[in-house]
Amino acid sequence: MRIVFLSDLKPLLSAIAAQMDLYIPKNAGTHYVYDRYDPSADVPVEVNHIRVCTPSKEFLFPLRELAAVFPEPLEPKEIEPFAVFGLKDCDLRSIEILDKVFAEKEFEDPFYVKRREKMFIISSDCSDPADSCFCNVLNGRPFAQSGFDLNVSKVKGGFVVEAGSLKGEELLKTNSELFSKAGDDVLAERQAQRAETQKQLEQNNADLKFDAPVNEIVENGQDSDIFDQEATTCVECQACTRVCPTCHCFYLYDTKKDDYFSKMKMWDSCMRIAYAEVAGGANPRKILGDRLRHRFMHKFSYFLERYGVDMCVGCGRCVDAEAGDVDIRAVLKKLNEEFEREGKNKAKVGK
Amino acid sequence: MNQNLYQPINGEIIDIIDESPTIKSFVVVPEEEFRFATGQFVELTMPGEGEAPFTPSSSPAITDKMEISIMKAGRITALLHECEKGQKVGIRGPYGNGYPVDDFAGKEVYIIGGGVGLAPIRSLFLSLVERIKDFKSVVCRYGAKTPADFIYKNTLFDSWQKIEGVNIKLTVDQADGQWKDNVGVVTTICAKDDVDVKNAVVVICGPPIMMKFATMKMLEFGFKDSQIYLSMEKNMSCGIGKCGHCMLGKYYVCKDGPVFTYDQIKKYPNIWD
Ligand SMILES: Cc1cc2nc3c(=O)[nH]c(=O)nc-3n(C[C@H](O)[C@H](O)[C@H](O)COP(=O)(O)OP(=O)(O)OC[C@H]3O[C@@H](n4cnc5c(N)ncnc54)[C@H](O)[C@@H]3O)c2cc1C
Ligand code: SF4
Ligand code: FES
Repeated sequence: MRIVFLSDLKPLLSAIAAQMDLYIPKNAGTHYVYDRYDPSADVPVEVNHIRVCTPSKEFLFPLRELAAVFPEPLEPKEIEPFAVFGLKDCDLRSIEILDKVFAEKEFEDPFYVKRREKMFIISSDCSDPADSCFCNVLNGRPFAQSGFDLNVSKVKGGFVVEAGSLKGEELLKTNSELFSKAGDDVLAERQAQRAETQKQLEQNNADLKFDAPVNEIVENGQDSDIFDQEATTCVECQACTRVCPTCHCFYLYDTKKDDYFSKMKMWDSCMRIAYAEVAGGANPRKILGDRLRHRFMHKFSYFLERYGVDMCVGCGRCVDAEAGDVDIRAVLKKLNEEFEREGKNKAKVGK
Repeated sequence: MNQNLYQPINGEIIDIIDESPTIKSFVVVPEEEFRFATGQFVELTMPGEGEAPFTPSSSPAITDKMEISIMKAGRITALLHECEKGQKVGIRGPYGNGYPVDDFAGKEVYIIGGGVGLAPIRSLFLSLVERIKDFKSVVCRYGAKTPADFIYKNTLFDSWQKIEGVNIKLTVDQADGQWKDNVGVVTTICAKDDVDVKNAVVVICGPPIMMKFATMKMLEFGFKDSQIYLSMEKNMSCGIGKCGHCMLGKYYVCKDGPVFTYDQIKKYPNIWD
């Protein structure tokens, strides 16, 4: 697909915004948030160095939405095309994960699927990963690998823009007057920067190494008391699951106003105590440690077994958001230590 | 056709039957064609109030209406118990996998039930009885707290017991003056020679504690894990394997169950809670 050079981002974004709503990252000091792009506003557009604070799932699976009405059925309304700029590789991988759940054949969530079809994704390379970023240990990269329509990489004097889909290709074609040829020098620069950021990530996470595939490490430790110990530092704020771009628990609840009845769909969290409770009070995960255990098993074992991919992309949002002190990386590290210890013990028994 | 999985079809409660002090059966007529397989469940909505999962207790062969037996257990079930004939409801489903009745052919079907667990079991029982010749026998062991707590009394105490190929025994935790039968939990009326262990399947449905002890008893009798079919009751919301509430290990009980064989789920934590 096409790779081009662009000296200024604004004309490209304005061209996109002329066709559809466009959301861009806004620098909020310590983090980024999404904001509607206003071509007339005189604010500089910047390439966010890491993922936006809020999870990318919000564009496809909003916090709360109308799911059904009575007695006349609700036909999912048509969605207008929209574009999001500044998604990172971790975001793209999380969307791939959500697709597996919500766009599953026979069980398609019509609201998700309609938005997904209309979403135009403009990803960008990461630079200067945050301390909490650990995508590299979970097969991620600090630059988009697939799943984007356009990808933007900042280079000296401008940007390298690459198409990743037919939609993206089309957009580059219709706006070809904005671009020039991406020379070998800028492509080499892009590659060098990517390698540099990757190296930086690897250094940041040098002490997070697994002695086996991560699912085996978590499965091995599922009965250990690591989860119960870790849970003692959890304050049950549920922030980890809210900001997680792959967590997709929700619940349906009904509301009424006069004789208008509706069913809403709203985010939920498996860390909530009553999440799995049934009438009469039985609850398979009454204990906080069991809920934490289930969260890890779901992310690293159950989801992988069902859909062939881990349900964690290593974006580190949960690490940043946490009001308590459960650090997913620290838990994985402890599980790995346990795996190592037990492996050695097993080896001894074997002799 | 409406493509929205979260949108119930409209239905109406046309009759309500008092079964026991805590259980009522609701006859529901869906406005659109609605078929289910025995053991599958539906999400029943009280418009504006909420929804809850229930397994129809009627035979799947009856397609113009279905019966749902509901124990008063909390908010939605209490509202259902208060409502009257003519109440509009929403129905989503049917969801999950039912009982693999065809796989039971040629075998003895050993059914152990308690409390409102008899609801799904009635649907299964009726499906089996419709083609009773296909099975070696249908052996039922049912328990209730007191004689008044049995549901489907008219048929359970009478016509069902007379069906050829069917053997039913009942027990209560607490007898009243008239009760002549066994007193004790349901496992006290289960005996190793009730069925030929080698050529039988066990179906268990009831309160979690009863399911646990009945399963242990069946293992003692020599049944293999894969011969024991359990209907798992877990917290549910979507019914279609997305919302996560019902997860039991790697399974979505709503989609992969609610009927599981014991070998599928025994390795997971807290299955009986
Ligand atoms: C597959 C299956 C089949 C079943 N079949 C039958 C049957 O045939 N007959 C029968 O009597 N029972 C059956 N049950 C049990 C029945 O579903 C429960 O008794 C019922 O859900 C209780 O609902 P409640 O609102 O009355 O109870 P509550 O105790 O008020 O609620 C029960 C649980 O549902 C959740 N909940 C309640 N309200 C909401 C809400 N607004 N939003 C989200 N979650 C909420 C809560 O987490 C709560 O813990 C079945 C259950 C399952 C899973
Ligand atoms: S986790 Fe990786 S892809 Fe995501 S923002 Fe951090 S460095 Fe970039
Ligand atoms: S009820 Fe939602 S996943 Fe099973």
